[in-house]
Amino acid sequence: MTDEEAVRQALADKDIFSVLIERYETKLMRYLTRLGVSLQEDREDLLQNAFIKAYKNLNSFDQTLTFSSWIYRITHNEAMSFFRARRARPQVILDKEGQSLITELRDEESDSTNLSELRLSHEHIERAFSQLTPQERDVLTLRFFEDRSYAEMSDILQVPTGTVSTLLYRAKRALRAVLPESLSS
Amino acid sequence: MTMEHNQENDPLAQRVLERIKDERLVPRPRWEFIAKNYFFWVLGALAAVLGALSFSATLFELQNLQNIDWRLSVATHPNFFSFFLAAAPLLWLVALVLASLWVYLNVRHTKYGYRYSLIVLALGAVLTSLVLGSVLYAVGVGGPIEESIGDRSPFYRPILAKERSWWSAPTQGLLGGQVVSVSSSTASFVLRDFNGQVWNVADGDLYSFDAARVIPGAVVRMVGVPTTTTTTMFHACFVFSWENQRRFFDEASSPHPLVFASTSQRTLHSATSTGMCTGIRPYQQLQSIDHAGL
Repeated sequence: MTDEEAVRQALADKDIFSVLIERYETKLMRYLTRLGVSLQEDREDLLQNAFIKAYKNLNSFDQTLTFSSWIYRITHNEAMSFFRARRARPQVILDKEGQSLITELRDEESDSTNLSELRLSHEHIERAFSQLTPQERDVLTLRFFEDRSYAEMSDILQVPTGTVSTLLYRAKRALRAVLPESLSS
Repeated sequence: MTMEHNQENDPLAQRVLERIKDERLVPRPRWEFIAKNYFFWVLGALAAVLGALSFSATLFELQNLQNIDWRLSVATHPNFFSFFLAAAPLLWLVALVLASLWVYLNVRHTKYGYRYSLIVLALGAVLTSLVLGSVLYAVGVGGPIEESIGDRSPFYRPILAKERSWWSAPTQGLLGGQVVSVSSSTASFVLRDFNGQVWNVADGDLYSFDAARVIPGAVVRMVGVPTTTTTTMFHACFVFSWENQRRFFDEASSPHPLVFASTSQRTLHSATSTGMCTGIRPYQQLQSIDHAGL
């Protein structure tokens, strides 16, 4: 059963909705962790709210989008609301899949940071991530940890693809700026 | 694989479904989302129409503005910038910008509105307003809009009313109106201004070129000696036709009457000059323009 078929069937039988929850729960939980929602109970609450919203708005799901982008969009909105309400510094926990970000930062390095001479680990990136804004973490996470295309990011963040590029550029610049601090600490 | 089995193994799915059942949640009907989408498109279209109406009124004002002789601004305004601010159809231009912003905000809230960049939406909104506004102007909507909606706005005066007000300031030496009668024996004429006030105008210092415009029934504007607020006597130094001056482009190839008025080659209308006009504005400026060979 595809996601889209599951959505159609869930409109008639709410129990089918659990198929979608099961499919995306782990991915979205990891996404929230990468964004900096550090407490398990917060992640569960956010995810529960996200799935409830998705169910209530199931009729607005656009079949031209993927369900994945749609549920990520809802979770993204929940997470941003969460960060707006809580201003405490997040504790970001990343995983090994962020190697592409480290590689890209080294490829695009500027003379001022000289990252190639530094041994970057994902722990450094984690510490640096904690100092970024939620939006900056979000775009970097979607691009380098969730491997989302610009078009998918546009649908998730609900901004034009040109703006995705701009946000990504700014987020990388911000990360590069805080990395030396992360390395020295 | 049964649904019950899934829920038992997945506490989150179980909690979500329990909450859906406990709170008796149901998906919102599809028509609500469709209606919301259409609602924003209709609002966006409405904003585009308002922008178009504003632009048609802007064109109408610009058409009239063409007829205002900007060279006379040296007499009516302290500088060209203040003249521009007073004459430009700012209300309509501001309305056009606001309508375009409204289009942007509404389209942004439609289903795929987020995919369009600010520049694309803003340009689209402005271009739609410009094209539609030009069509409305061409079919004659601009004038009625300018006069009907503009008249009801507290921040707006039609261009003709503005122009008349500039020439209804006798204490600043500016007076316009219709010539009622002319008396050659007393070197004066009677004029009814735009507010209905009757004036006795001394024309002894007029040159022939100006005096030729003073004929009963003609609507004229004059630059003269500033008066007090209590008198109804006005001493004219320059007389310009109200209507002729409004056809700027038609007369662009011929010398401007103000330039004629400031040259020494003309002959005075009456035998002697009182000297009262010497130094009044815009005499000095016009003399310098004349000397510069413009």
